[in-house]
Amino acid sequence: MKILLVEDDDVLIKVLTKTLKAHHYIIDAVKDGEMGWTYGSTFEYDLIVLDVVLPKLDGISLCKRFRAEGYVTPILLLTSQTANSAKVQGLDAGADDYVVKPFDQAELAARMRALLRRGSPNPFPLLTWGDLMLNPSTCEVSYRGQRLDLTTKEYELLELMLRDTQHVFSSDELLDHLWSSEKFPSEATVRSHIRRVRHKLAAIGAPQDFIATLHGRGYYLKALQTEVAMPTITPPPLRSPSLEVASEPKIDCSHDSTSSLPVDDRSTTAQQQYLAFLNETWTTTQPDSIDQVRVLLQAIGDLHADQLTPQHQTQAQHLAHKLAGTLGIFGLHKAVHLARQLEHWLGGQAPLPANQAPLMKGLVTALQQEIEATSQIQPSQIPSGQSPLLLLLSDNESLNHALQAIAASRGVQVELVSPLALDTTLSALDATIDEIGQAPDVILLHLSIDRAMYSHLGQAQPPSLLQICTQRYPALPIIVMGDRQEWRTRLEVARHGGKLFLDTSTSPEQVIATVVDLLTRSKLPTKVMVVDDDHHWLRTLPTLLKPWGFKVTTLADPQQFWTVLQAVTPDVVVLDVNLPEINGYELCQMLRSDPDWQRLPVLFLSALTDASSQQKAFTVGADDYLHKPLMGGELATRILNRLQRVQAYQG
Amino acid sequence: MPTKRILIIDDEETIQTVVQFGIQMSAGWDVLLASSGAQGIVIAQTEQPDVILLDVVMPAMDGLATFKALRSHLATKHIPVIFLTAKVQTAARGQFDGLGISGVITKPFNALHLPEQIARILHW
Repeated sequence: MKILLVEDDDVLIKVLTKTLKAHHYIIDAVKDGEMGWTYGSTFEYDLIVLDVVLPKLDGISLCKRFRAEGYVTPILLLTSQTANSAKVQGLDAGADDYVVKPFDQAELAARMRALLRRGSPNPFPLLTWGDLMLNPSTCEVSYRGQRLDLTTKEYELLELMLRDTQHVFSSDELLDHLWSSEKFPSEATVRSHIRRVRHKLAAIGAPQDFIATLHGRGYYLKALQTEVAMPTITPPPLRSPSLEVASEPKIDCSHDSTSSLPVDDRSTTAQQQYLAFLNETWTTTQPDSIDQVRVLLQAIGDLHADQLTPQHQTQAQHLAHKLAGTLGIFGLHKAVHLARQLEHWLGGQAPLPANQAPLMKGLVTALQQEIEATSQIQPSQIPSGQSPLLLLLSDNESLNHALQAIAASRGVQVELVSPLALDTTLSALDATIDEIGQAPDVILLHLSIDRAMYSHLGQAQPPSLLQICTQRYPALPIIVMGDRQEWRTRLEVARHGGKLFLDTSTSPEQVIATVVDLLTRSKLPTKVMVVDDDHHWLRTLPTLLKPWGFKVTTLADPQQFWTVLQAVTPDVVVLDVNLPEINGYELCQMLRSDPDWQRLPVLFLSALTDASSQQKAFTVGADDYLHKPLMGGELATRILNRLQRVQAYQG
Repeated sequence: MPTKRILIIDDEETIQTVVQFGIQMSAGWDVLLASSGAQGIVIAQTEQPDVILLDVVMPAMDGLATFKALRSHLATKHIPVIFLTAKVQTAARGQFDGLGISGVITKPFNALHLPEQIARILHW
């Protein structure tokens, strides 16, 4: 990335050049506005950084001139004036952003990255292409997670190409972008750099032609191969029925940079991009938040002097509310909690009595410290992030301890509700759930706690914790631990919605393994393939099944059956009996005779209600038989039943 | 899922930015931004988004007032509205009952998960 710096202060030029070089930027520095114009209008830059006060031609006028002449290069203004008028003037002149001197180096770098991103066709903070990932904020490059050691030029070359993966870069373009205007390397230099990067990429497992050559034109990143195993089949398009019969299933082979990644990788990449984006945003949010805390401190000062007007109190309350909201996005739980407390106090009595000032001051100071201490957003902080939450209701301390340790190693968060006073368990449960700000993904209930609770409350029968859990989270898997020998207990558990019963002798490792198993099961969407020649039915079906999170593929032409089956790899197939050319029974027999597919759950769905049709279906290997018409819920329940059986066998 | 257009009405610039990034990153939907209820209403009328995410607590015109205004306009009354609210306010969720809002999403959230949450609420 090439940057033009127009700045007349030698010290600042030196400092900035050093910082920017550390980020692998190529810098041309000039000292007055006229030179700035000469360079900016002659060479190509990805970003122009302008001081407002400059000899010969000031920064605002220079900025206006660039814009008037049609230059769209992002412009960042450096200003020592904090007055709003100067900022407004600068932005009106066509600048994209400004930084007030003295500035924080990290903030400046972050703002520059944001501007560079805006100017590039790739809007993401992390640049990726297939398995290659480049993080501009840390300057790290990796291929399949393996670190790639690159020289500065090699890094710059890759970054440039990753910023516009659809572009073929000519040698001239690369020369323009990668070397400052004082240097005049030859085309051979470009070739040797390309060769070295290719070599390093190949050494780490990338294809030889990761960077491909288009003879006579230049270099580009080669389009990624779409894996055959991962095509996306779209249901037949919803056009007129006559057209639909002829339509073939569409296989989506779009060559965007992420299409070849397996689903998991894709969401990991998304998480990484999101985290990188949060960190970038934090570098500017942090100083803003500290400013806001200062305003709060001011208000507390006024309160101390008994001079806080109700109007200012309301403003301070709003500020605390905004802070809580903003900090929440970054997952700063403690700071959010402090801001919420402040909001609560400020929203109470108006005017506040002055004697509240010390308490409030303590809160604001703690808030300030939390914000200042956060230099980086950690992956574990992100609210309701990737790590699933296990809500643990148990008073068995040694078990709790073991479970927490093992869960942590498996990437599962644990929230423990351990009652000290038994009759507060329910409110403790509520409070914990509200506090963690994330709904649990699975609940583990140790029966001793439940038993103890209702005997304590003098209730022989539930409402038990189990019931409360199932009422509050009807869709959630609930694991109950208890004594396997007690038949009555097991019955109660089953009656009240316990999903799995584990004996108290189960080892903590096994318990967590079960949790992980349940979690992974429920995470992947179930793929349902429906074969039916009733177009109307095929059209409504995906909507009917949607609430259950199924991924539905519909097919009207049984001739396509095998192709689509292999492409979709469904978890369950729903077949109509009467189909053109090949009927449902025959399709089912084909499945049952294939070693790869013979275990696939097959449900028949037909308007035929007679016993012999049903009998025939079961003879050819059907798992279930349903009659049309039926509700979406009914079909979903039957599908889920089949899948649970299958999973139980496999597990 | 086909591309959707989402309007976010929230007075917090940081939240706007992060939400926009998260939604585009995970679902590729178009995100329109408004910093106040009044601005949001104008954008909703002209742009006709598929859903509106509305912050409940805002200065000047709050979420409730904005929602009522959206419902009273012919051009916006059909657009589903989801309230964004802080966790502590969920206790007061009763105040939203009977208004005709499509759902509530609590802050803090992971913006990457918003499209999924929205789709679930609206049965997309």
